[in-house]
Amino acid sequence: MWVPVAGLPSLLALSALTRGGRFCILRFGAARRKDVLAGNRRGLSDIHPQLLSNVGFGKSSSRVYRCRSEIKRYITSPRLAETLVQILQGKGDASQLILECNPGPGILTQALLGSGAKVIALESDKTFIPQLESLGKNLGGKLEVVYCDFFKLDPRSRGIVTPPVMTSEMLFQNLGIEALSWSKGSPFKVIGILPTKSERNTLWKIFHDLYSCTSIYKYGRIELNLFITEKECQKLLANPRTPNLYQALSVLCQIACGIKVLNKLPWSSFETYTTNGQLEKQKHRELVEQNMCLIQLTPHRDLFTGNLTPFNYDVFFHMLRQCFMKRNAKLVDHLHSLSPIDALHILKQIKKNKNVKVIDMYPQDFHRLFETIECSKEDTCKWLYDDFMEDVIL
Amino acid sequence: MSALGWGRRAAGLGRALWPAGRPRLLAEEEAFGGVRGHRRSSSASPCEQDRRKDWGHAELLEVLQARVRQLQAEGVSEVTVKRVDVALAPEASSAQSPGKARAGAEGAAPKLSGRWAQKLDKEQRLMQKRKQRLEGRLQKRERTLAWQRQLRVEPRLLSGRLANQLQRWEQGAARSPWEEQLAQLLQEAPQRLSGDAAKASAVRGSDVRLEGQRQRLLSFFECCLLTGHLPLAHHVLVTHHSRSRQQRLLTLAMYNMVMRGWAREGSFKELVYVFFMVKDAGLAPDLLSYAAALQCMGRLDQDASTVRRCLKQMAQDGLQLQGLFTAVPLGEGERAELLRAVRKAEPTFRPPPPPPPPAPQLNTSPLLREVYAKQGCPVSYPRLHLPLKKLQDLFQQQLRVELATTVTVQSVEKAQPPTEEVLHARKTLADLRATWETALYQELQETKASEARAAREGRPSLFPYLCLLSEREFVGLLLQTLQALPAQGESLLFLAHELGLRVFNRHIVQRKQLSKQVQVLEQHYIKYLHLLASDTQVAERCLPRQWWEALGMPEAPHEQPWPVSVLVQLGKQLAEVLVQAVQMPGSLAAPRGPGSLIPVLYHVYSFRSFRQIGILKPHPAFTQLLEAAAERTLTFESTEVPMLCPPLPWTSPHSGAFLLSPTKMMRSVEGTQQHQLLLERCPPAQLHGALDALTQLGNCAWRVNGRVLDLVLELFTDKGCPRLGVPAPPSEAPRPPQGRQTPKSGLLPDLSPADKAEMRRELARRLKVAREMQSLRADALCRLSLAQHLRHRVFWLPHNMDFRGRTYPCPPHFNHLGSDLARALLEFAQGRPLGPHGLDWLKIHLVNLTGLKKRESLQARRDFADQLMEDILDSADQPMTGRRWWMEADEPWQALACCMEIARATRAPDPAAYISHFPVHQDGSCNGLQHYAALGRDSVGAASVNLLPSDLPQDVYSGVAAQVEVFRRQDAEQGVRVAQVLEGFISRKVVKQTVMTVVYGVTRYGGRLQIEKRLRELHDFPQEFLWEASHYLVRQVFNSLQEMFSGTRSIQRWLTESARLISHTGSAVEWVTPLGIPVIQPYHRDSKVMIKGGIQSLTFSSSGDTSQKPNTLKQKNGFPPNFIHSLDSSHMMLTALHCYRKGLTFVSVHDCFWTHAADVAVMNQVCREQFVRLHSQPILHDLSRFLVKRFCSDSRVSKSVWVSRLLDTLLSVPKTGAFDLEQVKRSTYFFS
Repeated sequence: MWVPVAGLPSLLALSALTRGGRFCILRFGAARRKDVLAGNRRGLSDIHPQLLSNVGFGKSSSRVYRCRSEIKRYITSPRLAETLVQILQGKGDASQLILECNPGPGILTQALLGSGAKVIALESDKTFIPQLESLGKNLGGKLEVVYCDFFKLDPRSRGIVTPPVMTSEMLFQNLGIEALSWSKGSPFKVIGILPTKSERNTLWKIFHDLYSCTSIYKYGRIELNLFITEKECQKLLANPRTPNLYQALSVLCQIACGIKVLNKLPWSSFETYTTNGQLEKQKHRELVEQNMCLIQLTPHRDLFTGNLTPFNYDVFFHMLRQCFMKRNAKLVDHLHSLSPIDALHILKQIKKNKNVKVIDMYPQDFHRLFETIECSKEDTCKWLYDDFMEDVIL
Repeated sequence: MSALGWGRRAAGLGRALWPAGRPRLLAEEEAFGGVRGHRRSSSASPCEQDRRKDWGHAELLEVLQARVRQLQAEGVSEVTVKRVDVALAPEASSAQSPGKARAGAEGAAPKLSGRWAQKLDKEQRLMQKRKQRLEGRLQKRERTLAWQRQLRVEPRLLSGRLANQLQRWEQGAARSPWEEQLAQLLQEAPQRLSGDAAKASAVRGSDVRLEGQRQRLLSFFECCLLTGHLPLAHHVLVTHHSRSRQQRLLTLAMYNMVMRGWAREGSFKELVYVFFMVKDAGLAPDLLSYAAALQCMGRLDQDASTVRRCLKQMAQDGLQLQGLFTAVPLGEGERAELLRAVRKAEPTFRPPPPPPPPAPQLNTSPLLREVYAKQGCPVSYPRLHLPLKKLQDLFQQQLRVELATTVTVQSVEKAQPPTEEVLHARKTLADLRATWETALYQELQETKASEARAAREGRPSLFPYLCLLSEREFVGLLLQTLQALPAQGESLLFLAHELGLRVFNRHIVQRKQLSKQVQVLEQHYIKYLHLLASDTQVAERCLPRQWWEALGMPEAPHEQPWPVSVLVQLGKQLAEVLVQAVQMPGSLAAPRGPGSLIPVLYHVYSFRSFRQIGILKPHPAFTQLLEAAAERTLTFESTEVPMLCPPLPWTSPHSGAFLLSPTKMMRSVEGTQQHQLLLERCPPAQLHGALDALTQLGNCAWRVNGRVLDLVLELFTDKGCPRLGVPAPPSEAPRPPQGRQTPKSGLLPDLSPADKAEMRRELARRLKVAREMQSLRADALCRLSLAQHLRHRVFWLPHNMDFRGRTYPCPPHFNHLGSDLARALLEFAQGRPLGPHGLDWLKIHLVNLTGLKKRESLQARRDFADQLMEDILDSADQPMTGRRWWMEADEPWQALACCMEIARATRAPDPAAYISHFPVHQDGSCNGLQHYAALGRDSVGAASVNLLPSDLPQDVYSGVAAQVEVFRRQDAEQGVRVAQVLEGFISRKVVKQTVMTVVYGVTRYGGRLQIEKRLRELHDFPQEFLWEASHYLVRQVFNSLQEMFSGTRSIQRWLTESARLISHTGSAVEWVTPLGIPVIQPYHRDSKVMIKGGIQSLTFSSSGDTSQKPNTLKQKNGFPPNFIHSLDSSHMMLTALHCYRKGLTFVSVHDCFWTHAADVAVMNQVCREQFVRLHSQPILHDLSRFLVKRFCSDSRVSKSVWVSRLLDTLLSVPKTGAFDLEQVKRSTYFFS
């Protein structure tokens, strides 16, 4: 079962093998990187012929990627992998297409392949690529490995993109995946672990993509299965009953998706490692004390049937951010700086008290508020919002 | 009658609240001296009333204000508001003693009554009732608040011994006069050991935040004194002193300031209180403290013994009596009183004679020797073409502009026919403005009152700042801000800062006006004009600065700018007033909506990738109204407009340029002091070169090129022409079909989400384009309107410089530094006959502007122009309808202007006598590399940047490309794949940008990106090799540069390494330019300053001060380019000074020098000579010596590893090549 790790550098293999942990954390040292790259020139050409020139010049890729102290977690326990496969497959058909983000050593990949699924492995770390490729050798194309960072797809800066940063068009065209319409569903599922450091930023990016129907969501209502920290998960699920956790992201998430918490794993029982095989418990105390949740985010089919559409979602975003800037303030005060329409009139329409506070509004209330303002017939000018006020570079 | 009663009653109310003074109770005194933490009760004790009655006036006014507010709340007409305005007037001018002010106020009340009695009579009956009711209520409230309201006078001392002493003296006040006690007090040793204090101050100094708070506090005290709120300042001082946490903030300067205030008023008791506090804080009084004490004694006519004791103590403290008169800045009156006191003790004392006007110091720099030489080379300084009378007239015009502080200019936007709609909108707007004025006025009053309360609670609030200008001025300022707010809003921080600055500038102008400086300035300026005017004679030709200094204009005390935090806080407060006060009827927005008032300004957040920026945004309906009204005026600050008379010559780092508005010689990020401090520390003569060069650049008179302006305006009011740099009107912008606000199409149900997303993107793209167009348009509108405003006038562009010495014109919108269009609009106001070669230079200049014959000889360029003469004349005659040859040029508008000039000159009966106003430019070819090549004496490099004479101009970019090609061929032969792929792709264009920016510190990383971009543009280049090829090329470009400019690279490396090590030792890199300007790199680690409260907490980072650690990366990367810039600016200034001496008109755009066509040859010669002179100096060795002295000589730090490494590096100055500098003098194409 552990055979395919042969391609891994010895230290990494050691840590992955000897400790029976289900996750491991890798921190990349500068020295190691070089020798791995040297022996790593082959590989991607069959999938991405145009990327060939880049191989071997790892230093050139985007700035973000040069950050070497980035901590990454990988699933390394076969048992956990089996459990996950069962959860993912459920009653559904076994031969579905699964996009796995940063599979790392490929334990889950293997389990998925074993269950008969087709897997596309998007790996942002070149170290793992040969190893991953060897997994799919005899499976007749059921596994495709791409050097790509899923969480950095379609950067908004619109500069020149070099792998592992890619555009979704580039990626899916090469994979031969066609877009499905919003009502039809999703051509694939995604499973992955949110990058720990930029969890919130990544979530914002995901919801921007979702509401604007771009990036992966251009290809349908993609179901995401993501491991996130428990704290973040609680925030996504928060509402006025848990006011301390309640925030704009909670509203966005609950309006857009059906959320299911599939599994919760105590982090404290895991051990964390650096690349040189040393225990690093002390340094990551905050990680150690957290649980990880596997949540499933399935976009609602009827998300865009009302007046909230990819055409005006940015106004909705802006409204929420503005409201949660001063979350204990009255909604009516915020309305004054959001829309020139008579605030009391709007509140009456959504059947809210004029003293209602921002944190007393349920996600659905915000949705209704938005729709009400957007529908109001009377005014030529509904929002004080200006395009340039929401300028997100991710 | 009623008003009279009103006033009296109110005054009576004031008195009733604070009953007349009584001898103080012993028990109270005990509490005061002995028990700590009993402060409040003692301060509220009735026994202080006798002293407090002086401030009764202020209290009275506040009561009145409060009442007015209440009355207004009850719906009283605005009449009362005006009443209080009048009543307030004495307060605003209460620089006089409080007692007098009070008398004035009471005296004023009956006078008022006559004016207002009638009006008030009508409503009297109704009012009477209400007033009584109110008064009752008010009295009650006032009583409860009284304890907070009173100002503290007696300090609570932390040292028990001093406190007892104070208490004893206070009790025995009747017997022993206060001045006795002062003398005794003076003998008290400071409470803390001096070593202790020094240590404490060292610890304090490190804390940036504390420093910031101190600055604010000092500024508060200063402002209190300025606005006549001395008791308030005293109160805040006492409050701070009595809390040990806050006492840390107080410095001797603050105590001195308050003491000086009391001294001016002759209030001895309060002065002694402050002295007690100084001792209590463990500070040793300095000259300023003694000057205050003696001055006060002089005013009170004290007897000799007290004075004598004071002087004795002063001598014991090691302070010189003479120092009082030389080292302490004193006013005329203050000086006299001080002298009176001193004479009492020493009748024979004579103050040291005022230091004789310092003998005009001479700059000793070898570079400038010729410039300041009295004999030797002939001097023919240029004069203006205008007679004295005209210039005097112009001065008056400029003075009026600056006194008004704003200039209103007609917009050049096409005039709308005044339709019904337009007229209606204008009327609405006018009505609204009238209401806003009242509303703002009220809001300001309230803000002032609440700030005053805050000050009474002992906080250094904004109150005194709000008293600096009258409400009317504040209202005007705010309305102007509102008018100029862009439709998409403006960041609150920016707005606040801007507002704060404007208040400061207005305040300065006002002070100059009040202190009679304007008249003095006028007298001197008229005399100064004798040097410049065309019809006057002066005894000895000299430079404008020398002449000005000889006139002996008394140096006005230089105003310290307010700390940024004060500026921002004040600005934010004003912005809040604006947001709160300015409202409009909701019906403007939605005609059928309810009739309530809605705010015009909104405070909203903009989210920029996880940062929130608070912005103020006008209501769209207001923006629409403004558009509909189509008011064709633009308002500028007076400093944003070119001057109408020759600028004041620069005589010091902070005096010069505009007549009244303060201008800094060295511009810097707002709030950084380090440049200013460095400049002030310099011996004055050392700066002469820079001062004179700036003066001279500013003295060039300009005028608008009317014909070009006509053509531009024609295009501008029509459809614009982006290709020619004339932005199109908004009507040309891609418009979303129905606009963002009515996204009907976006809501269509039958479109798929993906389609809607696509629509959104398209919409966003269009909006972005439209916004960009709009901002370009607005920019051009400013520039063209100013040009139109200045048409038919002569104007001047005062100059200042950045921290490296590069010069810039101060007015931002309309100057010669701008785009092709901006430059084409300007020409010299003074004309010169073309002379024998002028026409040739015009032709060569034209060809240069086309960018066509860069590699041809001057002769060839001229011949080329001759061939094209038909096209040139056609362009000049029918620019828009003819063949339009000029439009194809690199710099079309300047080319057109040049065509017109050539046409006029050739058609003149005698071209050589034709008077030309046209500026001809000479550009350095890759000026940065020229300096490097000269520094390193690189022969190959020097040849490629035209330091060597040659028949044809050399092109360094082609040179590098050729060198790269050589390397490539070698590699290709050895089978390097990339080198083979690149065959035929290496051109000048590919390498140009990288070579150009290498001088300015581009790295391989950035260079690769540049080259990648160029390669991407080549369509037949195999794109899969992009990365590899650009990587390869940038390496080869660097290698080639290394080969050609071997010295350059090693100098760059040496500079970088030195900067890195200096930064590691904890200092910012400093050096002195060859002309003597001290330079310091303003790159420090950011420190965040936060201003809390109000609508939004504002955070801004300040990175410019020496107290913070340097930012090593920026210091290191910045040093080589900054150093080269300091050299090119030195070269420019040298050229400017020498050209001036030869009588030339000279201006520069960094490395592009302008003069009249007739003088180009002379200028070129001067330019080359000065380049040789400059580089004949041992520049690098001087630098090394300076740095060693500055950073390695301190014995305390020299043991550090960094310092010893730095010393090693600095001492190994890079070796230079064998290039002979003298050859530059014969190089035709050095600047061409």
